[in-house]
Parts: sequence; C-alpha cells; structure tokens
Amino acid sequence: MNDCRMTKERMILALYGELDPAEKERLDAHLRSCPDCASEYASLEAALRLMDRRERPDPGPAFWEGYWDRLSKRMLWESIENGRRPSPAGRLARAFSRLPRWSLQAAAAAALLLVGILVGGRLIPRPGAPGPETAAAGPSSAIAAPSPAVVQAENFIDRSKVLLLGLVNFDPAVEDAYALDLARTKAVSRELLTEAADVRRGLSQPGQRRLRDLVAELEVIMLQIANLESGQDLEGVELVKQGVDSKSLFLKIDLDRMSRAGGGAALPPAPGGVGSSNKSRV
Amino acid sequence: MDESAIIEGMARGEERAFRELVERYKKKVYYLSLDMAGNPVDAEDISQEVFLKVYRSFATFRRGAKLGSWLYRVTYNAAIDHLRRKGAAPEPVADEVLELRSQDGAGLPRSRAADPVAAAEESELQARIAKALEKVSPQERAVFLLRHNEDLMLKDIAETLGLSIGSVKSYLFRAVRKLQKELCGAAPVAGLEAPHE
Repeated sequence: MNDCRMTKERMILALYGELDPAEKERLDAHLRSCPDCASEYASLEAALRLMDRRERPDPGPAFWEGYWDRLSKRMLWESIENGRRPSPAGRLARAFSRLPRWSLQAAAAAALLLVGILVGGRLIPRPGAPGPETAAAGPSSAIAAPSPAVVQAENFIDRSKVLLLGLVNFDPAVEDAYALDLARTKAVSRELLTEAADVRRGLSQPGQRRLRDLVAELEVIMLQIANLESGQDLEGVELVKQGVDSKSLFLKIDLDRMSRAGGGAALPPAPGGVGSSNKSRV
Repeated sequence: MDESAIIEGMARGEERAFRELVERYKKKVYYLSLDMAGNPVDAEDISQEVFLKVYRSFATFRRGAKLGSWLYRVTYNAAIDHLRRKGAAPEPVADEVLELRSQDGAGLPRSRAADPVAAAEESELQARIAKALEKVSPQERAVFLLRHNEDLMLKDIAETLGLSIGSVKSYLFRAVRKLQKELCGAAPVAGLEAPHE
C-alpha cells in the first residue's frame, strides 16, 4: 500500500518529465504489475490532458493597447495620493498629451489675454492708485510667501484638476471602457472631499474669498463624482463634464494659478455667484 | 531593446526602459494574476500593482537573475497579498465583466464561432475547468500553472517563488489531485501533506 502511495507522487513527477530515469523505470515496472495504479496513472494523465485544453479569456486588443495608458494614470494617481508630485515637466507633458487641440488653443488665447490684462494693469495706473514711482518707493515690492492654508488649497486644486482632466478627456466614442478607471477616480474624489472642508475653513482671510469659492465649486464636483454609480456610469460622467464646463472650472483654475504666479492678482468674479460684486483688479 | 538593456535602463530610472518592460511582460503578469485572482478586474489591478512595485523597487532586483522569474515572484506575492486583503477565495467572473470582455470577440476563441454545438461543448468544458481550479488554493494554483502552462521546472519554480523544492512538489501534487478529482471524479486526496511554508 505504501509503495502505491509513493508511486502516486512519482506518477505526477513522471507526467511532467521530472522523474530521473531509474525512478521512471521502477514506476513503469510497478504500473505493469498494479492495475489500480495503472488506472490511477491513466486518470491523472486524462485530467492533465483536459487542463491542456484550458483557455484563458483574452481581454482583447483594446485592453492591451490601453494598458500602458491606464498604468501611467494609476502611477500619476498614486504620486498624487502619496503627495509625491511628478516633476513639473512630466506633469505638463502628461496633462498636455491628454488635452484636445482646441483646449490648448483656448488656453493659449486665455493666457495671452491674461498677460495683457496683468501687464496693462501694472503699466496703466488706476485713478487714485499710486503710480509706478510711488509703488517702487513703498516699503517692499517683494511677493509674500503664501500661507500654509493657501498652499494646502493650491495642492487641493492641482489634484482636483488632474482628476478632472482624466474624466473630461475620456471620450467613450473613441476610447475603450477601460481607458477610464472610474473606481479609482471615485476613490480619489472621496479623498479630496474629506479634505475640502478643512481647506475651505483655512481660507478665512477676506482676500481668500475667491480661492475659497473655487474650492467650494470643486467640492461640489467631487461630490458628484463620488456619487457616480458603480460600473461604467457614462451618463453620470457626462453630467460631471457638463458641470465642469458650465462652471468654467478649468479656466478658473488656470487663472488662479497664473494670477498667483503673477503676483497675487485675484480670480475673476464668478458670474452671478457669491462675491461677484466684489471689485477685483482683473 | 534586449533584456540587459532593459535592466540597465531601469537601473538608470529611464521611463523608456520601464515602458519596454511593461510591454514585454504585461501579458505574462496579467495572466498569472488572472489565474490566481480568478477574475479580470482583480487581475488588472494586481498586474498594475506588480509594475508599480517593479518601478519603485527595481533596486532590489539582483543582477544576474532572470527578469521574468523576478516578475513571476513579484506577481505571486502581489496576488497572495491581494487575496489576503480581500480575505476571500477567488471570485467567479461577474456576468457583466464577461459580457464586456466578449465584445468585439474578446475572450472567445474565434475558431468555434461557426459551430454552436462545438462551442457549447467547449464552453461546458471550460466551465468545468474553471470550477475545478476554484478548488485549488492560490499557492497550489500558482505552482501548478507555472509548471503546466509556463513549463517551468520545479526547481525553477522553487527559486522563483522562494519556496523549498519539497513545498513546490507538495503544492503540485495537491493541485493535480484536486483537479483530477474534479475533472475525472477520482478518490479524495490522500496521503499528501500540506506544505509548512
């Protein structure tokens, strides 16, 4: 009986060609003299032949072609989640590579317009405002370092923008369903949502009102994303896109970033929104 | 780009080398993940996890080792971790996933499409095989599939997965006996000890 039990282990090794010749010889001799083991050997062989016919479902060419893009997006998410941002060049390259051509043209036009407004605002003195000479003679013309609350808000806005870019640039008409990792998008939006209230509370200074409004608008969009149906809720995604578009969120985000880079100019007033009566330089 | 160029490029942190590595090994990593997790959604998640780990910790790759073997090991560990986190056995593939994957013929062998009877028989066989594999533990399944599908020798599997040769044999014996029982109705597994690793 013990011989038979040991033989069963040797049978499997023999079927995979991993039994040395002497052992194989002994096994063959045993199988010739033991009908039970011979039957067992045939049964094992039949099972392995069936396993030879096993097929693994091929996810299809669209899946493989989009694999790298999805992996890249995930790497980007994780770098954002971990607070380790990719290099500015890498970020720009990734963001611009996903933008449609028209949006680049619109962004370029908006940038030119803003530069014109900023330059014009500095060169042409407003009535009652000190002239360039007066300004130069002031206590300091250096730009103050942003407060921790503003840095936190900018971080929140940057991460929200990356998330929204992935969603807005997803086109179900030309991309496969796997190009959009909706589950991950929702997970990141939930994380952003948990931070949003803190970020808003930190922006309590009067001059931070527009930044606070922008964070609040992003918070609403994040809530919409977090509440998307599980699976591929393309209808819900379309509604989010429309919300982003109607609120001109990308334009506001870009203007916010550019105004800060340009020395503290405020966001343009939200059309009809809170603070639209606040007179701004822009 | 050959394997040594990929390794050198990865060591220098070149994205091009990483992309080449992903393109070259994505199918092997995905399919081993699929074999272990049992469903395509988890399989993609695990396979991405593997490449992220490879990207982050390439410094731990031992020069002179085979890149493919290392990737199998990372995949095996990632899949085991994934299954432990989920605290569950591999899930059967959800209907909607199958439906989604079968669009454009993905997941269906094209040669059988014209013969519905053969397709039905084959489909039944594939279902039996899938059900049989569900009875095999992830560790046993990994060893079995690396031997059966990837044709790795047992000593190479032991090295790849960081197991003793005795454990590898034990996992293989148990896997084969369970498959035999499910597919051919053989007697229950007897006399085979579970590995202690």
